[in-house]
Amino acid sequence: MPMAIETTNLTRCFGAVTAVAGLNLTVRSGEIFGFLGPNGAGKTTTIRMLCGLLLPSGGTARVAGLDVARDVEAIKRIVGYMPQHFSLYGDLTVEENLDFFAGVYRLSGQERRRRVTETLARVGLAERRRDLTEHLSGGLKQRLALGCALVHSPTILFLDEPTAGADPPSRQRIWDLLYGAAAEGRTILVTTHYVEEAERCQTIGFMHRGCFIGSGSPEQCKAEMAEELLEVDARPVMQAATVARKLEGVTGVSIYGHTLRVFAKTATHLRHHLQETLGAQGISVKSIRAVSPTLEDVFMSLTRGVPDGEGRR
Amino acid sequence: MLGIVGHVARKEIRQILRDRRSLALILVMPIVLTFLFGKALETGELRNIPSVILNQDSSPESNVIVTAFSTYDEVQIQGEVKTTEEAQELLAQGKVKAAIIIPQGFMQKIEAGEDAQLSLLLDGTDNNSAPIVEGVAQQVIQRYNAERAIRGLWARGVRPDRGRRLIQPVFVQTEIRYNPGLRYLGYVMPGVIGLTLQLLTVMLMAVSITREREKGTLDQIMVTPIRRSELILGKLTPYLGVSLLNVVTILFVADRWFNVPVRERLPLLLGLCVLFVLTSLATGLLISAVSRSQFQAIQIAVFYVLPVFMLSGAYAPIEAIPETIRPVSYLFPLMYFCRAVRAVTLRGAGFFLVWRDLAVLSGFSLVLLYWAVLSFKKRVA
Repeated sequence: MPMAIETTNLTRCFGAVTAVAGLNLTVRSGEIFGFLGPNGAGKTTTIRMLCGLLLPSGGTARVAGLDVARDVEAIKRIVGYMPQHFSLYGDLTVEENLDFFAGVYRLSGQERRRRVTETLARVGLAERRRDLTEHLSGGLKQRLALGCALVHSPTILFLDEPTAGADPPSRQRIWDLLYGAAAEGRTILVTTHYVEEAERCQTIGFMHRGCFIGSGSPEQCKAEMAEELLEVDARPVMQAATVARKLEGVTGVSIYGHTLRVFAKTATHLRHHLQETLGAQGISVKSIRAVSPTLEDVFMSLTRGVPDGEGRR
Repeated sequence: MLGIVGHVARKEIRQILRDRRSLALILVMPIVLTFLFGKALETGELRNIPSVILNQDSSPESNVIVTAFSTYDEVQIQGEVKTTEEAQELLAQGKVKAAIIIPQGFMQKIEAGEDAQLSLLLDGTDNNSAPIVEGVAQQVIQRYNAERAIRGLWARGVRPDRGRRLIQPVFVQTEIRYNPGLRYLGYVMPGVIGLTLQLLTVMLMAVSITREREKGTLDQIMVTPIRRSELILGKLTPYLGVSLLNVVTILFVADRWFNVPVRERLPLLLGLCVLFVLTSLATGLLISAVSRSQFQAIQIAVFYVLPVFMLSGAYAPIEAIPETIRPVSYLFPLMYFCRAVRAVTLRGAGFFLVWRDLAVLSGFSLVLLYWAVLSFKKRVA
C-alpha cells in the first residue's frame, strides 16, 4: 500500500528548543491517523512542516511521495489544512470565505461555484451562507474551517485539533464529516488531546517531547501496553492511593471517582499483596479485578516510561 | 496569474467596504490633514512679533524712530514701558519677544555729532523672531540715517535727488520669478500633499497584511498554491485604488483652499502622485514583511514617516540639512516627489523638466515592490 506521509528523523528546532526530535511517521493512504499527545508535544509543529508552513531543521518528510523541502508548492495543491485556531475572515460571509479559498486553489467559474455549493451542503451551512462568519458559533466555525480545507478536494487533510472546545454533538458532526472524507479515499492526519477521540482513528501515534513513544491501532496499543492493570474499589480512595503507590511492583496509580487504576509489571502477583496491605491499613476494599486498559491508560503508561528530554520508539 | 490577483483584490475590496468606520477614516482623514497642515503652515512667515518700546528720550527724533517701527508688519508694538526693568520683566515672562530702547540723550548726541545708539533687547529662545526684529531695526536706522544725511546735504545746497544718489549710489533690483508673493504656502504645499499621502498609504498597507498574520488567515493562505506575487499584487491593487481616491481629494483641497495651481498640469501631477503612492505602498509591504503584529507595523511606520518628514525637504529645503547627513535625504521618494511637484506647481514645469524625478520614482517603486515580494516568505525557515 502506498504511503501518504512518510518522515525520517524529522526535526525542527526553534533556537535552543527542539520541538520535533527525529520523528519517524508513516501514514498509509486513506487512513485516519490520530496524533495524540499533550500540549507542546510537537504535534502542531509537525503538521506545519508537513503542509509547508515551516522548513524542517533536519530529516526528511514526504507527502504523497513529494519532498516537503523541495516540492512544497506541488504538495500545497493536494493537501488541505485546518489550523488549531480559527483563521478565516470574520468580516466575510460563510459563502465568501469558501469562495475565496476555492479561488486561491485556482478553481474558477462553474467548477468553483459547484464546489462551493457542494461544500456548503456537506458541512451543513447552506442556510447560513449569507451570515458573517464572525457571528457563527464555535462549532459552526469549525465546520466552516473544515469546509475551507476540503473545498479543493485534497487527497490529504491535516487537521490540527478540529474539535477543540466543541460540545459532544458538534464533535460528532465533525467526526461524521471526517469519516465521510476518509470514505472518499482521503488520508486524514488529525491531532487531538482528547484520548476518547483517538479511539476513532485507525492508527494512532503517541507523541511526547517531539517524537513518538508508541504507535499502532488503538487495539494494538492497548494489547501492547507494557504494564498490567488492576481496578481497585476501595474507601477512602485517597488513602488507598497513597498506600498503593508505596507498594513494591506498582508503577503508577490513577484515581477515577471511587476506584483506583493500579499499574504494575505483573498484576497477578500484586493482587493479593495489595488486598492484604490495604486491609491492614484499615481500608475497606470492595473489589479488585484485572481490567483491560483504555487508551488513556496506555498514554499514562507510555509517558511514565519516558525519561525527561528523551524519546523512545 | 491575473485571475488570482483579481480574486484576492475583490476579497480585499469587500473587506474594505464592509469596515465602514475605517473607510470613513480613510476617506476623510486626508482632507482633514491636508487642510490642517496647509492652514498651519500657510502663514509660515513670521509677522506681528510682540514688542515694546522704551522711549527714554521722548524727543522729536526718537518719536520719528518709534513711528518708523510701527510701519513694519513684522513687529507689533504692544505699548511703551517706562523702565529697563519693566522691559526685562516682560521679556522674561515671554509676553514680548523684543524691547526697542531709545536711550536718554539720543537726540542730543545726534545734534552734537556724537555716536548715538538704539538698543535692542531680544529673546533668543525664539531664534526665528530675533533676527527678524534685528533686521527691521537695521532698516529703520538705515532709512533714518539716509534721510538725515539728505536733509543735511540739502541745507548745504545739495538738492535731495542728488543727495540721495550721493549717499546711495547703488540699488538692488530684484525680480522674483515663480511664486511672486514668496508665499511659504506655495513652497510647503507639495510637502503637505506628499506627507499626507505617505502617512496613509504606508499605514494602510502595512496593517493590511500584518492583520492577516495576526488573525492567522495568512497561514491559511500560505498553505494554498498561491504565488506570493499574486497575493501581494492582489493586496496592493485595492489600496492603490483607495490612494488614488485620496490623491483626487487632496489635490482638490489644494486647489480649492490653497490656490495651488493643480488644473493646468493635472496629468503630470497625477502621474507623480501615482508613482509616489506606489513607492509608499511598497514601503508599507516591506514593513509588514518584518512585523509580527499590527502594533509593531504601526510603530515601524511611525519611525519611518517621522525622519522622512524631517529629511526629505517637505517643509524646508534640503540645503538646510548639513552635508554630512544630506545623502540620507536622497533615499526617500518623498524628496523627489516634493521637488517635482514644486517645479510643476510653482514654476509650471512640464514633463521635460521633471522627467528625471519621474524616472527616479519609477525606479523606486519597481525596486521596492520587487524587494517586498522577495522579503515576503511563504515559509518560515
